[in-house]
Amino acid sequence: MSSRSLPAPMPVAAAGEDLGASLPAKVRPRAVDAFPLALRNVTKRWRKNQSPVLQELDLALEPGSFTWVGGRNGAGKTTMLRIAAGLIEPEQGRAEVWGVGAQENRVRYQTLVSFLPAGDRGLYARLTVRRQLEFWARISMTRPGQVRRVVEETIDAFDLRELADRRVDRMSMGQRQRLRIAMTFLPRPETVLLDEPLTSLDTEGAALLLRAVRQVLDRDGVVLWCSPSGEHLDMTFDARWVLDRGRLVPG
Amino acid sequence: MRRPTSDASTAGHAFLAVMRRDLSIFLSYRTRLVSQILTSVFSLTLFYYVSRLVHVSGFKSPSSYFGFVVVGISMVGVMYSCFSIPELLRQELVAGTFDRLLLSPFGAVRSLMAMTLFPLLYSFILAASTLGLGCLLFGLQLHWSTVPLSVPAMALALLAFLPFGLLFAALTVVVKQGSVGTTWVIALLSIVGGLYFPVSLLPHWVQTAAKLQPFTSATSVLRHLLVGSSIGEGAGGALVKLAVFAAVLVPASTLVLARAIRFGQRRGTIIEY
Repeated sequence: MSSRSLPAPMPVAAAGEDLGASLPAKVRPRAVDAFPLALRNVTKRWRKNQSPVLQELDLALEPGSFTWVGGRNGAGKTTMLRIAAGLIEPEQGRAEVWGVGAQENRVRYQTLVSFLPAGDRGLYARLTVRRQLEFWARISMTRPGQVRRVVEETIDAFDLRELADRRVDRMSMGQRQRLRIAMTFLPRPETVLLDEPLTSLDTEGAALLLRAVRQVLDRDGVVLWCSPSGEHLDMTFDARWVLDRGRLVPG
Repeated sequence: MRRPTSDASTAGHAFLAVMRRDLSIFLSYRTRLVSQILTSVFSLTLFYYVSRLVHVSGFKSPSSYFGFVVVGISMVGVMYSCFSIPELLRQELVAGTFDRLLLSPFGAVRSLMAMTLFPLLYSFILAASTLGLGCLLFGLQLHWSTVPLSVPAMALALLAFLPFGLLFAALTVVVKQGSVGTTWVIALLSIVGGLYFPVSLLPHWVQTAAKLQPFTSATSVLRHLLVGSSIGEGAGGALVKLAVFAAVLVPASTLVLARAIRFGQRRGTIIEY
């Protein structure tokens, strides 16, 4: 899909002006068509002679928007999220956060974007919940004097107090998922990418996740939620897309 | 809104956080330290009796060969630590935690460099405990007047060794294997580095090869400072050689690692294992 067919894109000049005024100077949009997250003409294929998993894909998320992208297994949702997160690079096109690509300024890019990969990996089995969060806070470059407060706030926000001193390999799958979600939101990102975030979560965990999503949207951040089928949430998505043959079509 | 920063102090804390993480994981396996100390005791016992069993040319007494080999045993531990980085990276890849490092503002290259801190510090402590056990259990005579100088010399040696671990980490990023190669390299370096016997016993062309890497010089300097062994090239020359290795190879290996990560990101294979 091209950017021209995006549904009701925000007036680009307004996006730049309004958000620029509300953000610190170092993260102000550079260009008038900058978005909290934009995928521009992204193509990715795994082998040269194979058809691309993503084909000239365009997606621009407006500030404060909550977007769902679905599609069958293997459609390319995870690849799209990995590119958006700056984890891998597309063959063609680019991912931008406020007009800045990951390769141009990786520290800034990774400061603004947070990604929850699908599955239950990405945790240190032998560390406790608190140690895990402390570690993540520090490599997220949280100011040293703020780390303890940020960690304790996150523990409370995701109802992890009872688990705080428990090692990860002694936790259930749902508890681990709650910790992974807590780590995703700990650095207070502006752009949140969620790959099948409801996996193993109970009702309470899902409610905590949605509360965190609302907080991101309330501060004009964006959330991109990917899952194979449409989720039944207590929140409505601002836009729904399906990834089909490497392109986004309205869902 | 709270905003993370990227100043030097915050980066320094992130470095230490990686080391603290590795320490926490290490301490969670309670028998690991005991097991490694026992391994040192067994090695010391073996070489203590070997030193008494055979007459080794070039050594004044069995004790002087024992002193020679104890420093070599200590260096083997250091070498294993330097080359443990690729295996640690593989564990991160398999556990999916390397994704987190890549996605953090601290970044994968700095994280991998920070991951070398704990193994190197640990190898330093293990080397010191091996020497201590040699003294306590087998009467090893240390050259106490120069022992303090071995600490900065060891630090310089570790800096010269570190790039080898980083280069193998880069290889692991690209081909997802590295530990098989490290086993071969450690075995080879144990021979050409003169850890168990003097390099002068080796064929001439191998002696030349021994001069082309920092492990031989580092072991010679530490032997000189710890047990008073003579050093052919002079302590100053060996230290300069280590400094040159460190000055050239640390930035070069960091660059290679960064390129390897970028290569993996372009191919999309960076988090495969």
